[in-house]
This record gives sequence, C-alpha cells and structure tokens, in this order.
Amino acid sequence: MKQRTNWPVTILIILGSLIILFPLYMSFSIALKNPQELAKSALAFPTVFRWENFTRAIEATNFFNALKNSALITGATLILTILSNSLVAYAVARNMHKKFFKGLYFYFVSALFIPFPIIMLPIVKQTSALGLNNPGGLILLYVVYGMAINIFIYVGYIRSIPVELEEAAIIDGCNTWQVFWKVIFPLLMPINATIGILTCLWAWNDFLLPLIILNDSAHATLPLVQYVFQSEFGTDYNLAFASYLMALAPMVVVYLIAQKWIIGGVVKGSVK
Amino acid sequence: MKKKILLLVAGVLSVVLFAGCSSESGSNSKSDEVKIEFFQYKSEAIPTFAKLIAKFEEENPTIKVEQVSPPEAEVVLKTRVMKSDIPDIIGIGANNNFKELSKAGVYKDMTNDENLDKVQPAYLQMLKDVTGLDEIYAVPYVANAVGVIYNKAIFKELGLEVPTTWDEFITVAENVKKSGQTPFYFTFKDAWTTLPAFNVLAANTQGDDFYDELNKGKVLVGTRYKEAAEKFVQLLDYGHKNQQGVAYNDGNTAFGNGESAMYLQGIWAIPEIKKANPAIDLGVFPYPLTNTPGESKVVSGIDLLLSIGASSKHPEEAQKFIEFLLKEENITMYIQEQNAFPALKGITQEEPSLEGLKESFAKGALVDFPDHYIPVGVTADQSLQILAQNKNVAAFLDTMQKDWEKVEDRK
Amino acid sequence: MGKSSPTLTPPVDSSKKRKQKFTKRDWAFYAMVIPAVLLFATFHTFPALQGIYYSFTNWNGISLEYDFVGFKNYIHLFKDKVVKDSYIFTFSFAIMATILVNVISLAVAIGLNAKIKGRNFFRAIYFLPNVLGVLIVGFIFNFFFTNILPTIGERLDIDFLTVNILGSEKYAWVGILLVVVWQACAFNIILYLAGLQTVPSDLYEASGLDGANHWQQFWKITFPMIAPFFTINMVLSMKNFLMVFDQIVAMTGGGPGHSTTSISLLIYKGGFQGGEFAFQSANAVIYFLLIMFVSIFQLKILQKREVDM
Repeated sequence: MKQRTNWPVTILIILGSLIILFPLYMSFSIALKNPQELAKSALAFPTVFRWENFTRAIEATNFFNALKNSALITGATLILTILSNSLVAYAVARNMHKKFFKGLYFYFVSALFIPFPIIMLPIVKQTSALGLNNPGGLILLYVVYGMAINIFIYVGYIRSIPVELEEAAIIDGCNTWQVFWKVIFPLLMPINATIGILTCLWAWNDFLLPLIILNDSAHATLPLVQYVFQSEFGTDYNLAFASYLMALAPMVVVYLIAQKWIIGGVVKGSVK
Repeated sequence: MKKKILLLVAGVLSVVLFAGCSSESGSNSKSDEVKIEFFQYKSEAIPTFAKLIAKFEEENPTIKVEQVSPPEAEVVLKTRVMKSDIPDIIGIGANNNFKELSKAGVYKDMTNDENLDKVQPAYLQMLKDVTGLDEIYAVPYVANAVGVIYNKAIFKELGLEVPTTWDEFITVAENVKKSGQTPFYFTFKDAWTTLPAFNVLAANTQGDDFYDELNKGKVLVGTRYKEAAEKFVQLLDYGHKNQQGVAYNDGNTAFGNGESAMYLQGIWAIPEIKKANPAIDLGVFPYPLTNTPGESKVVSGIDLLLSIGASSKHPEEAQKFIEFLLKEENITMYIQEQNAFPALKGITQEEPSLEGLKESFAKGALVDFPDHYIPVGVTADQSLQILAQNKNVAAFLDTMQKDWEKVEDRK
Repeated sequence: MGKSSPTLTPPVDSSKKRKQKFTKRDWAFYAMVIPAVLLFATFHTFPALQGIYYSFTNWNGISLEYDFVGFKNYIHLFKDKVVKDSYIFTFSFAIMATILVNVISLAVAIGLNAKIKGRNFFRAIYFLPNVLGVLIVGFIFNFFFTNILPTIGERLDIDFLTVNILGSEKYAWVGILLVVVWQACAFNIILYLAGLQTVPSDLYEASGLDGANHWQQFWKITFPMIAPFFTINMVLSMKNFLMVFDQIVAMTGGGPGHSTTSISLLIYKGGFQGGEFAFQSANAVIYFLLIMFVSIFQLKILQKREVDM
C-alpha cells in the first residue's frame, strides 16, 4: 500500500536542513563581500560578488601547494590503509579461535582508547630520530594509527563472509595470499568504501599530527595553512572565509559528486 | 599473481618509507654554499626579516639563510629540541621557555661575546634575572613596552590631557565614560590580553624584594598582588559591554576605528591598529599608578633575543648573521617596521606615536614583565580572565597563591 | 613458492587439526600480521609506554636530566583543582553531547525514514557536516558567536545574547556543545537511518493492525530492532566527546579561565606549553584508564539491555 507524502515531517526536515546549511551560507556571504559590506551586514546576500577575495587568499596561503600536499598525503594514506589493514584484519578474523590472534585483535582495538596526548611527545622524538618528520612519516603514522578502528570494522565484516568461499579457492590451488587478494579482497569493496571514506576524512582534516610531525613549511597541509592564516591575517574576515571555503571545498566537491556512493558505503559498512 | 601483488605492496611501502630518508640528504648539493636556519617566533616580523635576509645574502653570497617561523613556534621549538634538531640561530623572547631551554643546554654560551658590549646593561641584567644563571646565552635584540595607547583625536575632542597621576587617570576615564564613549576597549576573550595591563600594575606594586623572596622559595602573590588586582578591577568599570567576548584582533580593529579613547595593550599592537586605520592619530603614555607624577615605571621586556644553537654545524656563519642584524642600519630598519625599542646602546626609536615613552626609556625607568617570572603552569592569564568576570579579588589572590605553590611543589 | 598443493592444506580442515600442525596457511597468516604488529608496537605502543614511564619522573619535556619521583605526580593530580575541574567539564560535556546527539540523530533519522519528499536530497544535506574539517568549522562558528549572534541579540532585544557567549564563564560550554552536536549528528543520523531501513515494514503493518500508535510502535518495534546501532553509537560518540579538542582550540582555547578546558586540552597545554610534561603524562594515564572503564561499562550495560529487549 502506497502512503501519501508526510508533509509535517517534510517541513520539519526542511527546517532542520536550514540549520545545517546556515553556517555555509554565512561563510559564502562573508567570503564574497568586502570589509565595508561586511560591516553593514554579514548575513545579507552579497550584492556584488567579490571573487578577488579568493584569488587573494590563494596567493596569501600558497593554496595550491597546500592542496597538493594534502592530496598526496591523503591519497597515499588511503591506498596503503586499504591494502594493508584489510590484509591484517583478514588474518586476524580467520584465526580468532587462536589466542595469539584474538590477543592481537584486542591489542589493536584497545589502542582506540589511548588518548593521543600521551604518545605525542615520544612520537615526535621517535619520528625525527628515524628521519620520518616529513610527509612520508605522516602517511606511515596514519596507516599505523588507523589500524585500531579499521581492524575493528574489517574483522566484524570479514567474519560474516562464509569460509566456504575460500575453501573452494583453496581446492582450486590458491594459497592463502591468493585467496585473500582474489576472493576476499573483492568481497570487501563495500567495507573498503567505508574505511576509505573515514580514512580520507581523517587524513584530510587532521590538524594536530601534521602540526607536530611536519618540519618544513613547504610540506604544510590545508588545515595547517588555515591555522597559520588565522593568526597572521587577524581580522581580514573576507579573506579568511574565502580561504576556509577553499580548504573545505575539495572534500565537499568530492562528496557532492560521490554523495550516494559515500553514504551508501558508510551505510553498507555499518549494517554488517 | 601473488608475487606481483606482494611486490607492488612492498614497492609502495618502501617508496613511502624511504622517500623520507632521501629527501633530507638531497638538499645540500652545492658544496661551497652554507645553509643556516634562522628560527624566530614573531610571525608578524617575517616580512621584515625576509628583507634583511635578502640583504645579508647579497653581502654574503656563500651563506643561505632560511627563515622558519611556524605557528605555536615555542611548542615547535621544544619538539625540535627533543629531536636534537636545533636551529642554527634562534630568536624568541626572554621568558620562561628561554629559561628552560638555556638550562637544557640548547644554546651556545655567549658570555664572553664582544657584541654584548653594545647591549644596554639593563637588558643583560633582565636576561640573567629571567634565567637565574650567570652565563649569558643570547644577545638581546629588541624590547617591547606596555603603555596606555590613546586616541589623540578623542582626547582633543573631549578636551582631555594625558594624565600623570592615578587620580587623573581615573578622572580621564570617568570623563570619557560620561561623554558616552568607551574609555578602554578590553579583549578578554583572548586570555593573554589581560596580562599587559596587569603586568604594569603588578610590577609597580609588588614590592622591590618580590623576586629576592621568590628566589628564596617564598611565593608572595597572595598578598603582594592585592593592590594590582584591586586597581585592575577598578579599570574594568570603564570597559565596554561585550569585553569578555571580543578577541585581540577585533580589539585592534575596534580601537583603530575610534570605538574607545584608550587601549591597554603593548606597543606591538600599534602596527595592527594602523592596519585597520592607517590615518589614526594615536599616542602612548606610561601608566600613572601613584599620585606622584613620574614615579611609575614602564614595563619593558626583551621581545626578541638572538642565540646560536649549541649543536650548530655553522656557528661562524650564524655569528656573522647575528652581527649583521646588530648593525645600526639593520636594527633601525627592524625597529621602524616593527615598532619596537632597540636593546642596543645609542640607537633610539624615533616613531612619533611612541614619543610618550621616550622619557622613561631615557631615564631607564623600566621594569621587566612580572609574568616572565610566573611559571606557565600557574596560568595567570586564565585566572585574570576570571577576575575580569567576577571581580572577586580575594578569590583571585587565593587561586594565584595556591596555583603557584602547587606548581613549585610539583617540580 | 610454487603452487601449493591442496593436499598440504586440507580445505575442510577441522580446528583441532589446525592447532596441532603449523601449516603453510598458518605461516601466511603470521606473515600477514607480523609487520603490522611491529609497526604498531614501534609507533604506538612503545611511545605510549614511554609516556607511562615519564609519568613517574619529573621531566619537563626538554631538560637533559630528570629524576624518578614515584607516584608524586599522581598524588598531585588528585589534589589539583584545575585537573579536577577539567574532568568534571569533560565528563558532563561528553554525557550531554552523547545524549543530545543520539536523541537528535534518531529523531532526524526517523523523519528521513518517513514518507517525505526528496529523501535522498535531505539525507545528503544532513551528512554534509561530516565531511567538513573540525578546526575550520570551529573558526566559522567562532565568528558566528562573536560577531553575528550579539547583533541578532541586540536587534531582538534579548539581553543575554548581546554579549559573546564564548566569553562567558557560565555559558561558553553551550557554544562548544552546539558546534559539536551540529557536526556529530551527521554521522549518527546516517547510521540510525541505515538501522531503521533494516526494520522490515511488514512488522509495522502487523502492529498497525493491532492498533498500536506511533509511540508504541517506536518502543515496541523500532527501538529494539535498532538497539545494536544505539549501543555502538553511544559508545563511540561518548568516547569521541571525551576526547574533544579541536573545537575548543578553535573557539575558546579552554577559557574563560579554565571553564572549557577539556582533559585533552589540559594535557596538551600543560605538557607542551606549561613545561609539565611528566605531570600531564600522569594525567594522560588516568584519563586513559577512565575512558577504558567508561567504554567497557557502557558496552556491558547496553548489551545487556539489548538482550533483555
């Protein structure tokens, strides 16, 4: 039986979404004005679009360099995380009846509850002793630290995949590695999507780890650049908001394009 | 198939792992060129130093100076020290961090450096007071100062004179308030902005033996900060309605736009104010804290000092760069662009807006920032933020005394 | 390694047999995890142990030498008012945020799951805050509270809104709570929505015949069905809120006074800026134990409820 559209709920949902969109509207409205127009009213729709705020912000923050850094770090983290963490989780998930692997599972997952500040100073010391205070080291740390939550998610999912599928492949002559890459890994795509999205969002938006690990300002990521910008340019809010929007934009654009797929990934992953 | 994938994974991993190692060694390619790193904590001074570095490199084509000035510079510097990756030249202020870093052996000993003869003795003494050490680990470069920044146009319009006693000061504030304008523009959303005014009040009222007692292990804030706290609270009545909710940057803009007659900040705020309103006619006068004119001292501290990393591979080049910065024409350029006072003898700050402080500097009626002696763990700024809100002097004194004792106790 | 013959690793192996023989398959499994374990131990466990070690010293973070002080840092920790206040703030904040986020998310998810126009469009909008960087969102809201809200307050003549609430010792936490909830709901809405979509609609139809109203439907059918989602959302969001950091850095820096200083922020500020690294390491150890305890406690209670329902 087809129900009719529930209008009261639709209206409530529309009102709620205005709350979501308001800060973004405000940011656009400020980023497109000049200081005089801002002084008059921050929220009024801009009469003239001052796109030059964006070009100025690009210059002031060396935007494209930071964009390149962020993209490189996020991209490498994403690929390595999915390839390595799924493999580890597979080994753990298939051996949960063994003490060693069960112990490993809890070892990784319990790290979720260790507050970052406690490892902050020692890790700074360590990464630089190993020559890892650069984007390469940052990527390594993301891949390693991501294991805590990713193994938790992957193991739950892999355990729901019937072992029989693997057994068929083993009979066909595949060894364990081949079983993983040929049989299991393709089946992990929905959960890979979830992990991929979560990893991207984390690496892209993270602020503290780049702040303490990266030495060279030429390697600075987008959030780091925003932070510098915030303290250096004081009250030039038009410029600041143009810069904020540009830092947010890449993720938002990716999201808008792949919105269905991203939400679907999160949903599919978590239903398991 | 399996091998291919394995190789791929291993390959990607190794690229990532070793990319880090190779990038560092690749940079020092030209053999006759020496690269030194100049780490300094004043992000607003980046453009000035960039110009000075360009000039230096022109004079010394074999030396390349890399300026590094990250946000949270002092935290970054500490982590660099942990990494034993100490910059060649380090420029921070004479504060508690400098003390800790000096004690940790981060800096080269400069006690016998001839350049120290150029420095005003008061600042060398200040340096020793801050670190509590006999050795000197840095050349004081420039000093800042705290005064009352005032809008000359508003003073003229209301027929006000620069006050020379505390009573006159309060009367001026009262008159501004009566006229419907704001006497002081406070910006307490940023906790540290409570400190400039409080520093002046405390430095002039805490008593001469305060630091001697402190060195003996006696913390006296609970009683000695009473007058300062009371005067601070008195000033709060002449602020504006939203003074708890405005941050430093907005305050500079507001004062620049004439929203208050006076602004209780350090002289470092003046370039920022002028950014908001280049045409503003402003001046600075020393806080009059007693009813005897000319008795109160101006708070001035070493804003930037230059030291050489103890582990520097190029100490001679670093020394050369410091000597270059100390040259009269170069420091003059710095103090003009950055509105600072030179720490060197025989050079004066001629900026007209700072005229009002000139006499105090000439007389040497200067005193260091008391908060340079307060351990950071005491978080005096945050306690003052609360005092500015609830105006409870007794509670403030109690908190300060307890927090300070607590931090000493933990060491 | 050539082609492994299937006879070496019997496909339908019983677990008993596996325990006895260390097969090639087992080797492969160990080879998969060992590098990861080593990396994890090097870059996570080892630094964490170092942190614990320092908590028994008086190291300030940079000095060349330091002494062992036993439990001194821990004793001082329990006497410190700033530390105590930060725990009270963090826990009350996390509890409020957890409840608000879960109630709002569930309500919105139910709304999105109802028969409404443009469901996918709205779903996309509600998820949007999740892709935005926390720090920048903090900056944006900071401007809103500092420059927009007071103007609105004046126009509407609402006195307490005319000043920046982030500057108020009493209400600054409200501003931070709003921002955290605004952003955290996104993810939870999607999870709850996914949970709601697993509830078969014929269950509702059956209960509709029994004459159950919406409220009863929710408690009798919907909620028990999505209880696992509720559990995981409660635990994860509570844990995240206990670690709140970026928003506070962007908006109040922990002030006014210490009124919005969370435990993470205190550890960061005291340990790095305040030169009390060892003391704050001890704080981090206690903090870790508490988070661990709370999470296990929540899991136990909530899972028990799931079973009961």
